[in-house]
Amino acid sequence: MQLIEKLTILADAAKYDASCASSGAPKRSSKGKDGIGSTNGMGICHSYTPDGRCVALLKILLTNFCLYDCQYCINRRSSDVPRARFTPEEVVTLTLDFYKRNCISGLFLSSGIIRSADYTMEQLIRVAKLLRQEHQFRGYIHLKTIPDAAPELIAEAGLYADRLSVNIELPTETSLVRLAPEKNVGSIHQAMHSIHLGEREAKEERRAPRFAPAGQSTQMIVGADATDDSTILHNAQSLYHDYRLRRVYYSAFSPIPQSPKTVPFEAPPLLREHRLYQADFLMRGYGFSATELLAGPGNLALDIDPKLAWALANRAQFPVDLNRADESLIARVPGIGVLSARRLGALRRERRIRYEDLTRLRCVLEKAKPFIVTQDYRPPRAEHESVVLRQQLRDTPAQMALW
Amino acid sequence: MHSLRFDGSFATWRQAARRALLQGLAPHQLQWLDEEAPPSLFDQPAEGAPEPSGRLRVSPELLDLLESAAQYRGDERWSLLYRVLWRFVQGERSAVLAGDPDGSELHRRLKAVRREAHHLHAFVRFQPCKIPDAPDFVAWFEPAHDILASASGHFAERLGKHSWLIATPRDGVYWDGQHLQHERRCPAQWQAWAQQPEDDGQALWRAYYGSTFNPARLNRTVMQQHLPLRFWKHLPEGPLIPQLMSEARAGAQRDGQALVLAGRKGKRIAQINEGDAARPPSASVSGSDAPDLPR
Ligand code: SF4
Repeated sequence: MQLIEKLTILADAAKYDASCASSGAPKRSSKGKDGIGSTNGMGICHSYTPDGRCVALLKILLTNFCLYDCQYCINRRSSDVPRARFTPEEVVTLTLDFYKRNCISGLFLSSGIIRSADYTMEQLIRVAKLLRQEHQFRGYIHLKTIPDAAPELIAEAGLYADRLSVNIELPTETSLVRLAPEKNVGSIHQAMHSIHLGEREAKEERRAPRFAPAGQSTQMIVGADATDDSTILHNAQSLYHDYRLRRVYYSAFSPIPQSPKTVPFEAPPLLREHRLYQADFLMRGYGFSATELLAGPGNLALDIDPKLAWALANRAQFPVDLNRADESLIARVPGIGVLSARRLGALRRERRIRYEDLTRLRCVLEKAKPFIVTQDYRPPRAEHESVVLRQQLRDTPAQMALW
Repeated sequence: MHSLRFDGSFATWRQAARRALLQGLAPHQLQWLDEEAPPSLFDQPAEGAPEPSGRLRVSPELLDLLESAAQYRGDERWSLLYRVLWRFVQGERSAVLAGDPDGSELHRRLKAVRREAHHLHAFVRFQPCKIPDAPDFVAWFEPAHDILASASGHFAERLGKHSWLIATPRDGVYWDGQHLQHERRCPAQWQAWAQQPEDDGQALWRAYYGSTFNPARLNRTVMQQHLPLRFWKHLPEGPLIPQLMSEARAGAQRDGQALVLAGRKGKRIAQINEGDAARPPSASVSGSDAPDLPR
């Protein structure tokens, strides 16, 4: 089979994994050295596909032959798709070629389960080792970790990879048992734990071997089962807490060809996925807890963003006086981000904050207006009911159609 | 009104601005003419005038800000910088803050310049170049701001000992493996090298791009926000974008599979039972394409 044919099949097989970021790696440079590749902590998106998603890494499977039968996956053994397998050398060649052309910042390699978990993991490691040792490649490497692989193999993967990830796949154990019968929640958590330990050792002991400096991430499929957003966010919160994950990726379940009856055949719930990312960002960057965002069971609102939803449900905290309040509280105002909150802090050390300052900082005034006080402004509608405000501030159908 | 003509470089502007500040010339008394401004009768060369005496203190941070903002191409390119500098020297520190009318414009420009440097790092596409005397890799790029000189060092870190060049309609950079040479007017030879016809290798990238796209998630608006139209024509995948979009929109297919693979004959894999012995590889696949068998 031609290389281009394999690439066509194995990129198609890998695209349902959303975690394509190339960020978080330490600074590395090849200036004046043999080999190629650099990282600087920040990710670069070298292209965008017409679905608006970033292309940062060469995201492929080593093979889409798979012994498992996960119902949501195009590569499950009962699926009638063309199959292919790269040799490790082919993956190396493609990575280096695309890298030199500046099409990618590195490799994200995963695989179907062939022969055994350990064998599959060894194959992935072999590619990373070839790149790092034979070719002195200093670009980004993300390896998918096979949950049941031996801890020694995970440790070895950490020597070469910047990021490791084990997919949690589904938000509850019941769903995993039903839709991915060969997978097991226990071993997924065990693998996350091993990675977390490896990271901790590398950080705390100076002589410990290098270990995945860009940390670990995971992916949760949304909409393949009936789990609600509240369960999803609480689950994500414990993953962040227990294993210090850098990111939880939410992947709106995309219908697959010859879809089995066990999973929906519907357009992917993209707006729901978008709201989950917004909520996740509020947990990681703004100090919100899952309970603050969704107190009881249920889903996030689709018509307004989760920050606005929180503000409308907590009117007692508002309006916030921008000349007095803590920067962290200012950052909780809808339409004002962390950066603007910091800039307001800097500005008010020079002089009093006025309403038009917010225009210059390009805050979303429509949203912020009902929730703030400045030297020359008080919200006239402060007495308005939250229901009315919500009517006025909801995203228009046109904006929502984006998603 | 003093019309000051200079070569459009930050270094010369800085000298001229220093002199103007020492002479006490207010922003509204000055007109800055860089190499792109049409010549006029009342031009005064910015260089060569006698140096007024005096001392000025400007922090290195502010100079850095001004130097970056000077890469912005647009109206009032130099006069805004002088106004910020003037106000700052007069003690109006808020002139550089994002909440100030001038500061806000300054920060908008800084952001546009940073964004364009990022575009360079993201969307430059090198192609191997086999011509004798030419560098290993060449690229053509059309940046909207003058970021090439300051943002190109990034590629020296990426490409190790390889030599490369990036040519633009205005300036150009050449890395010979050790030094970065920047020419404000890109030599014609560099431009010719950079505009070679596409090589075969681009087909692989296009195959990847087509396959990694999920047609069930088509979202043109978000895509164009991140990848503005003006870059498409220089990307090997550019011509593919409208095609993939219209195929996905036509809705021939509602799942995520790439259209080129849809309906192709596939291969189901037999269920593996505990204790199964190794089976001979199936006839339809062989060599490295064959699946591994259970141990
Ligand atoms: S293990 Fe499951 S999710 Fe992974 S490739 Fe195989 S079938 Fe797909």
